[in-house]
Amino acid sequence: MSAHQHPHEEQDFLFKYVFSQDHKMISKQFLITGFIMGFIGLSMSTLFRLQLGFPGESFWIIDFLLGSWAENGVMLPDKYLALVTMHGTIMVFFLLTAGLSGTFSNLLIPLQIGARDMASGFLNMLSYWFFFVSSVIMLISLGVEGGAASAGWTIYPPLSALPQSIPGSGLGMTLWLVSMAIFIASSLLGSLNYIVTILNLRTKGMTMTRLPLTIWSFLITAIVGVISFPVLLAAALLLVFDRSFGTSFYLSDIYIGGQVLEHSGGSPILFEHLFWFLGHPEVYIVLLPALGITSEIVSTMSRKPIFGYRAMITSMLAIGFLSAIVWGHHMFVTGMNPFLGAVFTFTTLLIAIPSAVKVFNYITTLWKGNIKFSPAMLFSIGLVSTFISGGLTGLILGDSALDINVHDTYFVVGHFHIVMGLSGIFGMIAGVYHWFPKLFGRMLNNKLGNLHFWITIVSSYGIFFPMHFLGLAGVPRRYYTNSEFPLFDNLLDINTLITWFAILAFAGQLIFFFNFVYSALRGPKAPQNPWKANSLEWTTGVKHIHGNWPGEIPAVYRWPYDYSKVNENGDYVTGEDFIPQIVPLGEGELDGGGH
Amino acid sequence: MTTISLDNTKYKAEIRQKTAKPLLWIGLISIVMFFAGLTSALIVSKSNSIWIKLEVPSMFFVSTLIILFSSLTYQLSLSFTKNNQLKFATITTILTFVLGISFTVTQFYAWQQLYESGIFWAGEQSNPSGSYFYALTALHLLHLFAGLISLLVVVTKSILKKYSPTNVLGIQLSLTYWHFLTALWVYLFFFLKFIA
Repeated sequence: MSAHQHPHEEQDFLFKYVFSQDHKMISKQFLITGFIMGFIGLSMSTLFRLQLGFPGESFWIIDFLLGSWAENGVMLPDKYLALVTMHGTIMVFFLLTAGLSGTFSNLLIPLQIGARDMASGFLNMLSYWFFFVSSVIMLISLGVEGGAASAGWTIYPPLSALPQSIPGSGLGMTLWLVSMAIFIASSLLGSLNYIVTILNLRTKGMTMTRLPLTIWSFLITAIVGVISFPVLLAAALLLVFDRSFGTSFYLSDIYIGGQVLEHSGGSPILFEHLFWFLGHPEVYIVLLPALGITSEIVSTMSRKPIFGYRAMITSMLAIGFLSAIVWGHHMFVTGMNPFLGAVFTFTTLLIAIPSAVKVFNYITTLWKGNIKFSPAMLFSIGLVSTFISGGLTGLILGDSALDINVHDTYFVVGHFHIVMGLSGIFGMIAGVYHWFPKLFGRMLNNKLGNLHFWITIVSSYGIFFPMHFLGLAGVPRRYYTNSEFPLFDNLLDINTLITWFAILAFAGQLIFFFNFVYSALRGPKAPQNPWKANSLEWTTGVKHIHGNWPGEIPAVYRWPYDYSKVNENGDYVTGEDFIPQIVPLGEGELDGGGH
Repeated sequence: MTTISLDNTKYKAEIRQKTAKPLLWIGLISIVMFFAGLTSALIVSKSNSIWIKLEVPSMFFVSTLIILFSSLTYQLSLSFTKNNQLKFATITTILTFVLGISFTVTQFYAWQQLYESGIFWAGEQSNPSGSYFYALTALHLLHLFAGLISLLVVVTKSILKKYSPTNVLGIQLSLTYWHFLTALWVYLFFFLKFIA
């Protein structure tokens, strides 16, 4: 055994790859499980886009993949609802919450703050395995009698509370709730670890204002998660009580088949309050890590310090705080008191301020930068684009007077897919391209990466941009088909176009999956610091060891954004355009980040 | 170059010393949010016209006294351990456990009182006002079971003389959680008495 090798290298297969407590392995487990779930969610959306673009037409692929969920190659209406519900659930929670935070918080927190591992490796392992079990249960629910949950990813009662209401409200809904309860436990265990590790295990010299923005974003995400996920658990438990024990928290005066049910005294609106108290912060649980990742990439690949480091932190804190007091904007049409609606409008529109600060900081960082258009950089700039175009429609939806007109239409679908779906996924993919060398010790193929980006950005705008027009024309979301309404006849072409773009987007992701798998196994070996970046993770070896640094953990002397730093003569301070955090400050040299 | 072993007991103890308490505290915040969600739900439900104002069953007063007393005995146990009076520490820890069980018993009696006065958990004759009584107290009890398990560990380790004046982290963690359960109960008690 060489001096660099570690006793853990000789661990059993089972403890090294399966029940690992090493944050880097857990990160890969989250990534791969998240991607598998994401691929399933993506496939579902492509299938139901076929129904929307070509209503009633027969497709062999639908017959082949959906089996009893289709008849003569046309998917059944109730199964369309199940697919929409599962697509939303999987994408929001399994890909963009666990897949995104689980992967990058686990990989980067110990590596970038200079820690040997998470505060508790055991809780970290549990967090992954809870996620795995919840993923399996969610997938099993696709195959049970009555089909998967069909009440939409927001599972509003009474549809979700009465097992007899629709086929998917039976066992499928029960499994959805079980899966989500385990998922919440996983998320909380992860968040506990992230927060405590960041606050307590930073290396010498790593003050809070020398942390990379990735770490700040993971910290704020974890705090938002700890505050909001328990409320969803409370909401889900009351729903379980209503479903399984006959309580009436969310139910009152319900008739089914002419029979009045015995529930009385509850209110379905209560569920909406509890759900959206999580549901809106959830948007930022998805978005903040993506913003953190892109901050890091935009700065590194522009070879410039991030513009407004402290403003970036402040705006993320502001977004995190505001996210908890805006949930009512999802409920403007529930008969809410107009005064209360105005309050929620106000708090919602306030979010535009920190969001705009972030956007300007991205653009000013890019401005006159020595930009390297790596696939990670392209996706990061893509995020800036989707964050703007999706954010602008957020102003319309956040205003109660305007929202009421387009509520529950495709306008909303277009808005949140761009601002949260695309931004989240762009951030995640950017992160994968950027830290792939750290994850797998190999490089991804850049040409395939560029192709992947251009197909993805064109096709995803092609999908979601026209949806705004459908929404403005009044097309409601969640409908199985729009061809039944003569009013929407002239909009069918738009729907067909969207479906073609959806197929293109799907094909684009296949390129990525190929690149990912091929490069992980056969890609060129990565150098230690391929992007010439400053942060601490690039001071560790390409080969993973448990404990991260073979000797002492390096101390930190400067912030992580010293790119292209010049002295009075205009020469690079160290002769190169980057100065890693482990390089001590020179005489008279000022630290960045306001030190 | 030296090799760092994460199996190193000293390293593990150091990390535990640094992180165990913050991990617990942040866990407690999530439990606070869970009950904040539930009690806010009750406030929203209260605006319904058929909400019934219920009297807190008398047994809940007994529960309150018991859990307050148990917090005191557990705190004493920590002081005894710190003063190296390990025998008294073991006795007070066992006493705390017994009080925890007694608290559980009183909860069941209280539910019986509710049931006998016609307040049902679920079904045709139930009303959300009654269901909240059962749900809030039962979910508190569920958290208390975790506290009892941690107490059982502390009792066992106490009997085996694993604690010393310098090694009290385990007791401190369990104690913090137990005090939290007491505070949570007192909050729920007053909430049910005055708000619900």
